[in-house]
Amino acid sequence: MLIRIAMALASGLLVSGQVLAQAACPVKIGGVLPLTGSMAPITKKIAQSAELAIEHINQGGGVKGCAVQFILRDDQGQPTVGVDAAKYLVEVERVPAFTGTISSGITGPIISSVTAPSKVVQITCCSTASPFTLDGRSAGYFFRTIPTSKTQAYATASETTKRGMKKTAVIYVNTDFGTDMLRFYKAALAKLGGEIVVEVPYNDNQASYRAEVSKALAAKPESMLLIGFPKDAVTIVREWLSLGGPRTIALNNSMRTMDFVNGVGAKFVEDFFGMDNAQVAGPHVDAFNKAFEEKFKTDSKGPGVHTQYDALMVMALAMNIAKDLSGPSIKDSVRLVHVPNGTPVGTGPGEFKKALELIKAGKPIKYFGATGPIEFDANGDVTGPALVWKVKDGQIVTDRTITIEEMQALFRKIEN
Amino acid sequence: MTGIFSYLVFFACIVLILGVLTLGLNLQWGFTGLFNAGIVGFYAIGAYTHAILTAAPQPQYLGNLGWPWIAGIVAAMGVTALAAWLIGLLTIRLRGDYLAIATFGIAVSIQLVALNWEALTGGSQGMTRIPKPLSGVFDTPLAFNLWFLVLLAAVVAAIYFALERILHSPWGRVLKAIREDETAAVALGKSARRFRLEAFVIGSTLMGLAGALYVSFIGFVSPFDFLPILTFQVWAMLIAGGSGNNRGALLGALVVWTIWSASGVVVTKLVPPSHAAQGAAVQVILIGLVLILVLILRPRGLAGEAAVVSRHAAD
Repeated sequence: MLIRIAMALASGLLVSGQVLAQAACPVKIGGVLPLTGSMAPITKKIAQSAELAIEHINQGGGVKGCAVQFILRDDQGQPTVGVDAAKYLVEVERVPAFTGTISSGITGPIISSVTAPSKVVQITCCSTASPFTLDGRSAGYFFRTIPTSKTQAYATASETTKRGMKKTAVIYVNTDFGTDMLRFYKAALAKLGGEIVVEVPYNDNQASYRAEVSKALAAKPESMLLIGFPKDAVTIVREWLSLGGPRTIALNNSMRTMDFVNGVGAKFVEDFFGMDNAQVAGPHVDAFNKAFEEKFKTDSKGPGVHTQYDALMVMALAMNIAKDLSGPSIKDSVRLVHVPNGTPVGTGPGEFKKALELIKAGKPIKYFGATGPIEFDANGDVTGPALVWKVKDGQIVTDRTITIEEMQALFRKIEN
Repeated sequence: MTGIFSYLVFFACIVLILGVLTLGLNLQWGFTGLFNAGIVGFYAIGAYTHAILTAAPQPQYLGNLGWPWIAGIVAAMGVTALAAWLIGLLTIRLRGDYLAIATFGIAVSIQLVALNWEALTGGSQGMTRIPKPLSGVFDTPLAFNLWFLVLLAAVVAAIYFALERILHSPWGRVLKAIREDETAAVALGKSARRFRLEAFVIGSTLMGLAGALYVSFIGFVSPFDFLPILTFQVWAMLIAGGSGNNRGALLGALVVWTIWSASGVVVTKLVPPSHAAQGAAVQVILIGLVLILVLILRPRGLAGEAAVVSRHAAD
């Protein structure tokens, strides 16, 4: 009898607990970003973008009728600090969804020790290391709004083969970004044709890369693919040209800056071409840029700014679609923010409000964010359009754009 | 409530892993006077040895042998001991700051090897499939963390009592003699080099063990885990806690990590999200301030070294 009463009491408590969980206002969303440490300079705008997204969500109606409270912690660029902050947010603050962080070396341990075991949805703006979404450790709880290096690597391979680049030397920065780019580039070349004669990794922030360049040139290449960051790339390209390396050079997105062009010398780079993720033009992109510039009195250019906004917008839309605010329900709703036959919704509070009305009416939505259409694949990755750029008369110009449809066709061709 | 409990269990696990590191450093610095500025290097060797041996096989890696957890722990200690012995043979004759520079350089080199030897360590991508011991049995996060806490508590207790035992033996007294006056110790016929090397190897082995425990707790390892900042955190823990006192070393790990973590909570509670970046900077200042205050108010650390040399001499 006692046991039965105890059980009844317990189940009563459970039920009331669930009811409380449903009605708890405000709804909390957790975030971890490197606000201090070596990444801090680029994080400032990313954190502002997150703030803007939360503001738009709240002006547009919040989550399930509640205001959203964003709790942002600093990871200081250190894995243990980031993991501790994430665990605190998940256990003590009870956030059902989480955004972060930038360094893959911190996002990784957060997935494996905090969010995946606790079944909390994690959407990152910026971590691109490939194993997170591929190896199954995340159990489907991890998403990212940044196109991985795969998109760019495939586009690069398609462009280099199209231009008939032969006997290519690849010089790449030895980070998760560089190794990923090389891996996917090779995978694509295997399907599209093309030949790499030598692969040379380099470590960033060195004074000279003569050893790496000499090693690459020893293989007698006819062209080079350089994957890295502008400061080092200037040094590498200058040494490459001074040692008589061929002028057919392909570059990655980071070099699409005047720092690189002026560093090498505009007249030398006319034969080069590079790739970048294309910003989809359209009212949803403009609306975001305008809102950002108005609020923070600075332009919205910079890594992670657009993807961070989309990470939070997707999260809030998915939370509204989900039948309750448990991790598994939110996870299952993330892909419902962009349904092929849905009504298009864009950025900003007005569009968010419109999306909420559609969701309430049980209609499907199709979210076009600050980075374009956000459609997650089976791994939780997004793909996006790309562009080919070159330098003409000392200015960076777009050579051509690879649309998202072309990109999807390319993915099918390489991965089928 | 369960949330706070669950967090505290996780927090305690991290503190105990840091505590193993601090105990290792205390043997080297606190008792022998060896200025090891390469803690993170030995931590990395243990971590990667364990990860490479126990992770589930994957075609692109040389290692990933899928060994049982305990074999990975033993091997991690063995490999770290061997590495410490080799490094010690080369560097142990160096005095004070020279040893610091040498070990610091070695630690940076080890981190770069981990970053570049991609076939073995996964390079900058990190290694993801590191099994957590008995995670099949303890299948909720709280249950697993509780079990790991019990395990860590047992390991730390064993290390603590073993260290207390050997440090109060004649061997431990020789270490202190070397620390205080090496010439006098040598004059008494003790081989300072041998004792310094032994303390260096045992201390470093503990650091390797800490690394192995860390990766099997987190389930992920990347070169990012082994940046020099960790070395200085462990030093801060030992100095604040009380160099030359094992209880002080553990207390230091607890206090410093609490300051590190709690300051973040305090800052997010007080600072509105729109000023999160400034708040984070304040957090870093706060950490430095509290550490300086501890050192001003308790110059010998929270628990200073006991003056007793031998339990026989105490009477």
